[in-house]
Amino acid sequence: MEASELELFRRGIRHATETCGDEALDAALDELGWRDALVADRNTAVSLLFEAQGSTVVDSSALDWLLAAALGGQDGGRTSVVLPLLRRAAPPGRVSAGRCEVHGLGTRTVARVDETVVVAEADGGPVAFTVKASSLELRPVRGLDPALGIVEVTGDLNAAAGRPVDWEAAASVGQLAVGHELVGLARAMLELARQHALDRVQFGRPISSFQAIRHRLAESLVAVEAADGLLAAAWEDPSPVMAAMAKGLAGRSARAVARHAQQVLAGIGFTTEHPLHRYVRRTIVIDQLLGASSVLTRQLGEDVLERGTLPPTLPL
Amino acid sequence: MELDAFKVAVDAWLDEHERELACDYEGVGTLDQQVAQLRKVMGMAYAAGFMRMGWPERAGGLGGSNLLRAYLGEVLTARDLVEAGIYSLPEVLAPTMIDYAPEALAAEMVPKLLSGDEIWCQGFSEPGTGSNLGSLACRATHTDAGWRINGQKVWTSLAQYAQRCVLLTRTGTPESAHRGITAMFIDMDSPGITVRPIESMHGAEEFCEVFYDDVVVPLDRVLGEVDGGWSIAMDLLPYERSTALWHRASYLHRRLGQLVSAAAAGTLDPTAVGEATQLLWAFRARSRATQRRLAAGETLGSETSIDKVLVATAEQAIFDLVAEGLGPDVATGDDPVSARWRAEFLYSRAATIYGGSAEIQRNIIARRLLGLGDDR
Repeated sequence: MEASELELFRRGIRHATETCGDEALDAALDELGWRDALVADRNTAVSLLFEAQGSTVVDSSALDWLLAAALGGQDGGRTSVVLPLLRRAAPPGRVSAGRCEVHGLGTRTVARVDETVVVAEADGGPVAFTVKASSLELRPVRGLDPALGIVEVTGDLNAAAGRPVDWEAAASVGQLAVGHELVGLARAMLELARQHALDRVQFGRPISSFQAIRHRLAESLVAVEAADGLLAAAWEDPSPVMAAMAKGLAGRSARAVARHAQQVLAGIGFTTEHPLHRYVRRTIVIDQLLGASSVLTRQLGEDVLERGTLPPTLPL
Repeated sequence: MELDAFKVAVDAWLDEHERELACDYEGVGTLDQQVAQLRKVMGMAYAAGFMRMGWPERAGGLGGSNLLRAYLGEVLTARDLVEAGIYSLPEVLAPTMIDYAPEALAAEMVPKLLSGDEIWCQGFSEPGTGSNLGSLACRATHTDAGWRINGQKVWTSLAQYAQRCVLLTRTGTPESAHRGITAMFIDMDSPGITVRPIESMHGAEEFCEVFYDDVVVPLDRVLGEVDGGWSIAMDLLPYERSTALWHRASYLHRRLGQLVSAAAAGTLDPTAVGEATQLLWAFRARSRATQRRLAAGETLGSETSIDKVLVATAEQAIFDLVAEGLGPDVATGDDPVSARWRAEFLYSRAATIYGGSAEIQRNIIARRLLGLGDDR
């Protein structure tokens, strides 16, 4: 994108996420041409939107659209994609003996659209089925973050019409998207804590003057920037290992910032009168989407130890 | 020369001269051996032109982007031809000279540094001045014969080898703090200078105490303005956290790679290995962006404190793993390979202390990047 166009797009995304609720955001994104941007400049479209979603704790159908596009669906965006259960990154379905057993999660989009894409492990590699949403059982999940509107998806499908797909590539893009959302959440939590530290006076001085507070916030900024920098590098050198590494670090960073922000915000941050709790809830849930940070980090270490070599380095 | 062409040329040259460039000692070597190796490699790279690239022509360089310097140090470190820490000293000293020395002095001196003909040191810290650089006391008094210097410096790397020193002195009143500091370029063979190496925990005498007793420095050896030394120090510190740290990441990458191939199965916690790998990659991603900003002509500032915190965190995470996975070698191995792991493990303990401690970096981040105001 041209610089002026990019700035306009950035402001549009920002405005849409700040003013629209979850329901209205899809329409606003269509008006902004987000799905066209996804085709023209995937990195920019994904990083801007998902970081903005994180920083405002709103949600759209963008993750479904992104995964559907990466899986090569030709649905004009009317489709959702079933996600793996929390902590996992493998396809949510499994094909055996002519049936496809499905157990995964859906965003709220699953319940809104007519068709859903289910990817399943099969003997010859992952295959995708486009099915009527009504052929799946959807159980609304409240859990830690009811505002996210997640549903648990189960089903037992006829496995006849599967098409081969590159699930790993799609999941990698999804991991980067969720990584940016985690960075957005972390930046927002840091900002809430930073503002509180400046405003809150104890012992006759703002608590931002105490080194114990300052260092927590400084650590938080280091964590956020480390994650953001690695995500940017992952777009430049795209590979499943880089995407998983970037998402793993983003999740660890966001969880660390959540801990620091909770402590700095202290009493007020423990109430529902302050917005922090919404960010903390969202962080813990989406960190586990498409591979939890703990799982991805351990997996990276296991792979490195098993091979006895490091992943390809980032060239200058 | 563009970066891609430079990479090809440097790599080909390194392949061609592999044998002459190689270390002639095993393991970590003595400091004498490390310095001799450094001078040999710098001298050869200078003669071949590579060491001059990325430095301005007015200081004896051949011009071109800082990315060339970043790559040269990266690849020399990756191939284990130089020790990254001492190789990177010119990354701080040369920019100071180029930006602040009288033009003729920089043109005369910088080539001596880059070619390995001379070793230079940096006289900042003092016994009473560690993190609080503005409190330094080494006094310079203006006389007709020149500046007369009295005082003591400490943690001066390679002072026992050095021909020159970039020295921070107190020219204002003791209360003048950061306003009364002046930077000078000193010949280390001046009468009145005594160097006493300190044996540090990792077994080398890399750091020294340096005593200045009535040392006379010509008036034209002032760098920048009299009483303007603080801004020089502030300007050069971000450089200490850019190209030099990119070189350090190359060293950490080599060692982490060697660790995961050398550690016996089951001795390393996969999660800790994953964390250390993520950190090192995150640092490289961040530092690469810093190198590119520098190449685009941006002025580096406080944001490089994030780079410094990250690289120090990565270094200690990696060497914590070394002390696990190669624990017996570190603890009881007396062969050169084990001795090197041991020395480098011990050196890594200082990663959060030198070059501005981790606490000072966090203070900078809090004040400058987060706008948290004063800390009192």
